[in-house]
Amino acid sequence: MRQDRIGFLFITPAVFAVVVFYLVPVLMTAVIAFTDMSTATGIRGGDYVLTESSLRKLDDASLPADTVAQLAEGGFVVDADGLAGIEAQFGAALTTRIATALLDEKFDNRREIERALNDLRAPELRITRDRKAAAALFQRSVLNTRHDTPESLRAALSVADIPLADHDQIVQAAYTGWSWTTRNFELLVSLPSTLRYALNTLMYVSVTLVVFNIGLGLFLAISTFYLPERTSATFRAIWFMPRILPPVLYVLMWKWMMLDSGFIASVLAPLGVARINWMMETEVHAWVAVILINGVVGASFGMIIFASAIKAIPQTMLMAAEVDGASRWQQVRFIILPQMRWPILFVTAYQTLSLLASFEYILLSTGGGPGSATEVWAMAAFRTALNNYGGNLQYGMGATFALVLVLIGTALSLIYLRFFNFQALLSKPRIER
Amino acid sequence: MKRFLTATALCGTLSGAAAAQTYEITVWSGGSGEADSYRWEAIEMAADILEREAAIRGKELSITVDYKFDFGGWAEFKQAVTLAAEAGEAPEIVVTSHLDIAPWAQAGYIVPVEDYLDLDAWPLSDVYPNLMEIASVGGVQWGVPQDSESRPFFFWRDHMRAIGYSDAEIDALPEAVQKGEYTLKNVLQDAGRAVEMGLVEKGMGFYPRVSNGPDYAQFYQSFGGEMYDAATGKLVLDRAAMTEFYQFFVDAVEAGITSRTHIGTDWNEWYADVANGRAAMWHGGTWHYGRYQREGNEDFFGTIAFTLIPAGGNEGGRANTITHPLVYLITDQGDDDVQNIAAQLVEIATEPRINSLHAIQSSHLAVSKSQSSVPLYAQNPWANAATSVLLPYANSQPNHPDFGAYAEAMWSGLESAWTGTQTPENAVAELEAELTAVLGDNLIVR
Repeated sequence: MRQDRIGFLFITPAVFAVVVFYLVPVLMTAVIAFTDMSTATGIRGGDYVLTESSLRKLDDASLPADTVAQLAEGGFVVDADGLAGIEAQFGAALTTRIATALLDEKFDNRREIERALNDLRAPELRITRDRKAAAALFQRSVLNTRHDTPESLRAALSVADIPLADHDQIVQAAYTGWSWTTRNFELLVSLPSTLRYALNTLMYVSVTLVVFNIGLGLFLAISTFYLPERTSATFRAIWFMPRILPPVLYVLMWKWMMLDSGFIASVLAPLGVARINWMMETEVHAWVAVILINGVVGASFGMIIFASAIKAIPQTMLMAAEVDGASRWQQVRFIILPQMRWPILFVTAYQTLSLLASFEYILLSTGGGPGSATEVWAMAAFRTALNNYGGNLQYGMGATFALVLVLIGTALSLIYLRFFNFQALLSKPRIER
Repeated sequence: MKRFLTATALCGTLSGAAAAQTYEITVWSGGSGEADSYRWEAIEMAADILEREAAIRGKELSITVDYKFDFGGWAEFKQAVTLAAEAGEAPEIVVTSHLDIAPWAQAGYIVPVEDYLDLDAWPLSDVYPNLMEIASVGGVQWGVPQDSESRPFFFWRDHMRAIGYSDAEIDALPEAVQKGEYTLKNVLQDAGRAVEMGLVEKGMGFYPRVSNGPDYAQFYQSFGGEMYDAATGKLVLDRAAMTEFYQFFVDAVEAGITSRTHIGTDWNEWYADVANGRAAMWHGGTWHYGRYQREGNEDFFGTIAFTLIPAGGNEGGRANTITHPLVYLITDQGDDDVQNIAAQLVEIATEPRINSLHAIQSSHLAVSKSQSSVPLYAQNPWANAATSVLLPYANSQPNHPDFGAYAEAMWSGLESAWTGTQTPENAVAELEAELTAVLGDNLIVR
């Protein structure tokens, strides 16, 4: 019992980290994915303000034309209420002056009434700010005034004599914040670009993973295993270098190699090969570049894991095989590979997830091009949620992209565990049963 | 970084008998480099003037201006502003694209300048009305134009001469383009000839911008496309114009005058190429004038001719140019007094003499009419020429919250047509499907 408690104590930091760095972000992503949150709606929730565009929406949404007209008009009216306000704020002299010159006058907008007040040349209104305060007292239009709460807007609507029956619809159209919706998921299913991102991601992850992260990683680990210790260590260190280079520099070197003024083009030019951009000429070029750039970095991870796993295989087994006359290939096939199931599972699962979520090398090299041919899912999420020329970032839609990625990642992990028979790996040795 | 973290709120303190008002105003400036220093230095100058004016009125006013401009890029800047605004720590004044007004106004990050400033009084009454319009949304004046620019089409004079144009004909190009006599069809022909004659390398006959930007919408407009319908307040997708616009770039690639892999070319390389005659024709911005000089071109007017972006040469096409002014916006931070002071500073910074410092230092154009009487501006050959040839014909991209999505989709369609991954027709069909799904009722398809 007590030991159990100590056990819990030991895993507390890990649980804490998982909750803070994984569960909470994932939950937030899931929540945001069901909203239409964007820069325009803000994050914290909205206010209520009737603008020209919300009026148009109301007009389209069949709010009675009379009400729409009533909302659009209003403007500024020099009436008794307004004059009472002036008297309280500026005194009787100004009130008389305004009443004499402007009583019952209507103005379409604020600029016009401010002009009229300015023309009075009243000493109380010489300063712009005072003139604006005076003009505000005559505002009868409900347009362009921000209200913190729906009640406040409803009150303003009542004052403006807008029919009570229309208030609900108006308040809804005036809301500036985000609301709950499943539209992001509908869009995801219906947009032609989504399928392309999905196929691109499938291609990117599977080819890079199988050929480089696992295939080349295994090949390097096994081939260096049979080399003398010092040589193999040097060789592995060289393969490890791309991983410790900053991505920007690493990709820059690839660009120097592949651009039309780069190394490959320059070497081939004397042979009569036209100078082309080897990274971007066609979709095939771009894909080869993207997979090579990621694969060369990815292979080193598998190489290190696999190499140390091979070292853990008892030497005696290999020696016995050698004595029995097994070839190198037979040693690899029947001794090394069968004992590598666990590291291969680990590298496969780990690298699948990191490839799914990574796009920095693609962003830096092809930028998703040519023509979004190499744009992957994670990059689409980034672009949608965090990078938009017009400035209106689509947080909700971006979160939906990201959520799908989380779900696919989780599903794949479960499948891998099943496929590699994880249960058997963790079961007690037969001798202990 | 420290500046970034400093609390930017005001401290309106009362000390002793005299009320000395102290304000801390922070300015964040997007898309800016050292050459754009007057975006915040103008506010510093304005603070000095406002303090002096207060002193004459017998009031003690103290304003400290803090600034930040090194954000990395537009995306980082916009993220920084929105996140700071959400956290209630935004700077008081922001210099940014006019396109940000619509989303930021809806989100409540900014307050209208018309709440504080008299638009009928100098200097705002002197600002070009079309620029004031660009800084407004839904009839509300949210911002004040900080600078203006325009995006011309450039010709390398020597190459034009070599393919048979006389000096007089080259000088007459601005007019020919404006009247629609010289169109993008001529561009294809002449750039093709420059490549054939070996004046420029293959792919450098027409050498466009290397990344997404307002520039590309100009070519859509060249073919008669419109982005916005003012009557309904909706965005517009003109299928025919969009297809022809995509087709133009496909034709340019097929003719060998533009490279299929041009997108993503290094900007530094691009500037060096166009400033030194390695391209026959290209398009850029008025601010390129300064950059070309830094790239070693000492005789701009002797080597380069500039015009509006030519019309497409189809029915309904028109020569045009887009201006993408930056604007001063006042954020909804602190109390009304702070916003009032911030607005006053912006107003003073817009005065012709002060704004001209920025215009000339950064090769931008004026925001107000009387700047043409400010000697510094009037005597600058580029500002003078560009203002008269380009600015009267400039329009802007619409201030619509969904315009970002529209522009991104338009660009990715162009990219796929240009690089040959889709035909222009298919790219436009996909663009239409995408925009119809995303924008719904906010889009008119023609």
